Amino acid sequence: MTFIKRQTTVQYHQFCLIRLPSEGIKIVEIRPQGIVKLGKFGTFAVDQIVGFPYGQSFEILDDNNVRPIQGSLVELEDDEQDDSLKEKIQYLRQLDVESSETNRDLVDIGNATQELTQEEIETLKKTSNGANIGEAIIDKLIKSHVNFSQKTKHSQEKYLRRKQQKFLRRFTVDLLGPSQLLQYFLEKDPTKVLDMSEESMGLLLSLANVQPGGRYLVIDETGGVIVNALLDRMRGSGELLVVHENEHPNHSALKYSNFEPSVIDRMVKTINLLQFFEPEDERVQWNDLSQQEIEEMKSSKKAHYYRRRDNAIQINDAIDNAVKGDFDALIIVSTLYTPTLVKKMIAKVGGSRPIVVYSQYKEPLVETQVESMQNLELLAPTLHETRCRPYQTIIGRLHPLMTMKGGGGYLFHAIRVFPLQEGVQAVGRGIKKRKIDDQQSVDS
Amino acid sequence: MSFIGYKDTIGEGDLVLAFLGRDAIKPIVINKEETLNTRFGSFPHAQMIGLKYGTQMASIKGYGFIHLLQPSAELWTLSLPHRTQIVYTPDSSYITQRLGITAGSRVIEAGTGSASFSHALARTVSAEGHLFTYEFHEPRFLEAKKEFEEHGLLGTPVTINHRDVCKDGFEISNYDGDVKATSVFLDLPAPWEAIAHLSQVISQDEKVGICCFSPCIEQVSKTLDALKEYGWTSVQMVEIQARRWEARQQMVRQVDDAVLRLKDVKRRKLEGIERKRRFYAEHGQPRDEDSEQEVEKRKELEKEETKVDRTEFNPFGRGLRIKDGDEAFNWIKVSKTEAEVKSHTSYLTFAFKQATPSSTT
Repeated sequence: MTFIKRQTTVQYHQFCLIRLPSEGIKIVEIRPQGIVKLGKFGTFAVDQIVGFPYGQSFEILDDNNVRPIQGSLVELEDDEQDDSLKEKIQYLRQLDVESSETNRDLVDIGNATQELTQEEIETLKKTSNGANIGEAIIDKLIKSHVNFSQKTKHSQEKYLRRKQQKFLRRFTVDLLGPSQLLQYFLEKDPTKVLDMSEESMGLLLSLANVQPGGRYLVIDETGGVIVNALLDRMRGSGELLVVHENEHPNHSALKYSNFEPSVIDRMVKTINLLQFFEPEDERVQWNDLSQQEIEEMKSSKKAHYYRRRDNAIQINDAIDNAVKGDFDALIIVSTLYTPTLVKKMIAKVGGSRPIVVYSQYKEPLVETQVESMQNLELLAPTLHETRCRPYQTIIGRLHPLMTMKGGGGYLFHAIRVFPLQEGVQAVGRGIKKRKIDDQQSVDS
Repeated sequence: MSFIGYKDTIGEGDLVLAFLGRDAIKPIVINKEETLNTRFGSFPHAQMIGLKYGTQMASIKGYGFIHLLQPSAELWTLSLPHRTQIVYTPDSSYITQRLGITAGSRVIEAGTGSASFSHALARTVSAEGHLFTYEFHEPRFLEAKKEFEEHGLLGTPVTINHRDVCKDGFEISNYDGDVKATSVFLDLPAPWEAIAHLSQVISQDEKVGICCFSPCIEQVSKTLDALKEYGWTSVQMVEIQARRWEARQQMVRQVDDAVLRLKDVKRRKLEGIERKRRFYAEHGQPRDEDSEQEVEKRKELEKEETKVDRTEFNPFGRGLRIKDGDEAFNWIKVSKTEAEVKSHTSYLTFAFKQATPSSTT
């Protein structure tokens, strides 16, 4: 069986996502005896989290140890079910702080509200022990807050949550799936993934009808983030022919993929645009040497020979694949000018199969759609936009967030069809047009 | 199977989507005795057999045509018979992506409704995974079941149940083994009643995601209470706002050309006045005693001698039939949203549940 099940627990030699209380994220490789440094959140030994299911949260203890904890990292103001919120409420009680009905008496005096200085916090960090540093500091911060009792309960909780995000030494380990990898790059360098949002990625995968066993023709300028998302939906069966515009493809993001290199090598074939469009000139002429000739070679030369041989086989296979055509989808995520790119690639797409093009700007896709309306090989060209609007999700205080990430990109979708022969078509179109006009005049 | 896997050529018994237009996609099952009759003409099934999927087919009379498409979950969403409000692709694709549903996933869906999302989920979980779908309305259940059967999805990967999950929970008898769902999708009037029953059927070994799909904010409120009560965390409600853009071409009409045209209009107007003046100077005012014939003759003559020639200056092609993109003019490519956009489908409330600690040791 080629089916590869998605991992559900932390395993060695995988990459996973670490979520911090600050909402920061980090990619970590699970290497035996590895130590992960999370800056002010502390350090831990990766061996300690191996075997735990994804989604598990931990608290960092002394000597790189961790303790699994229940619930999420930082509590929403309303999550009264969770232990750490109970703790938090106890904080407030035990500190004997009062709260105000309204913020009427709250006067903004800026930094002066906090009597604890940065130096004192630094000293606390050094003197307190291990896991309790965070709580100790938060405790002190509240006690030293001049206006704390003037705040409403809601704003006290908000304050506490902010401080937890800053000081609690906790983290959650999560699967590094396609959405998470996208999110990682969106935060680190959105241009790398052409500003694609998670909702655009989801829509792309659905419109392209991606599934195990498919043969997809792909242009991916995101360094492999899209290729990884396709592999994730295919889970071991099917094939990708990735067309790229340089001598070698840029698949730098694939190093974070949780598919083994052997799986990627088997499923992902690459070919450059020149080889793709002019296959016959680019085929590598190759003749195997005889066994005797090989044996007579020096070892360094022998290695060179095999490298060249593998390379030739790989290129010629990819060329054969391109020539064969009939791909189950064409997926383009590129900054090349898409109207001409799509036109040049249609011939390689199988009948009734989708063509999906992503661009971070609407204009190239508008042009693609205008061109497509003249192109009888493309049916129902459509330009999609999808945006996810997040809400503050607190019972009784539901409202859309005041700010959200902009951008997210656009998708063009059409279906590859085979138009009627020229002669028949002209008649067909002419009469059809009259017919529709007639129909409309009857309708109206 | 038509929704999972691919096919190149149309054969007897295949489900084919006859594409008449964007809003007219007709599902047909190929039976060589039958003919598809549409407003674009008649199309005998027998002539479809052996054609490649994607072929444009002319009607028997030679005028009018349709496209013959292979069904996919997304096309099915556009063509299916509506039994209920359906989940459209922008929502379904996002839910799938955010819950991390993929080949091999085990998904609970309640209710089945028109089975639009069911088809997309079946495609994505594929033969390696499973979709457990529940419908409490009997006629809808029967229709959906028949559909899954006809589409080759029943059994693998779809199991459908006639059941009110809010009252009776999710445990089923027509499936051999545990449900062990890894993702849950609730599209019910009262999802909070169903949430209570989930703990028996979701996987305990891994993180499980849920999405509740409700049009009203009051429903979301109650759902949040229930999610909290049953230990779901990382709760977030979102809304998907999707639109389709329509591309057009707009003629570049320069203001200087508009000014020049006004000048041209003015020049021609003055020219007309001048000609009139000359005509009257030459022929004088019409006289009352002129016969009807003479009046008519004078009218003709006046028309002839004061006529101003059609202008050569017509920068915007007024009065001509100009096709969008005509090379004699300049164009920009523009876009606008459809005349009517779906401004609200439903609120999507996501939450997750950690694996239980006992299974981690």
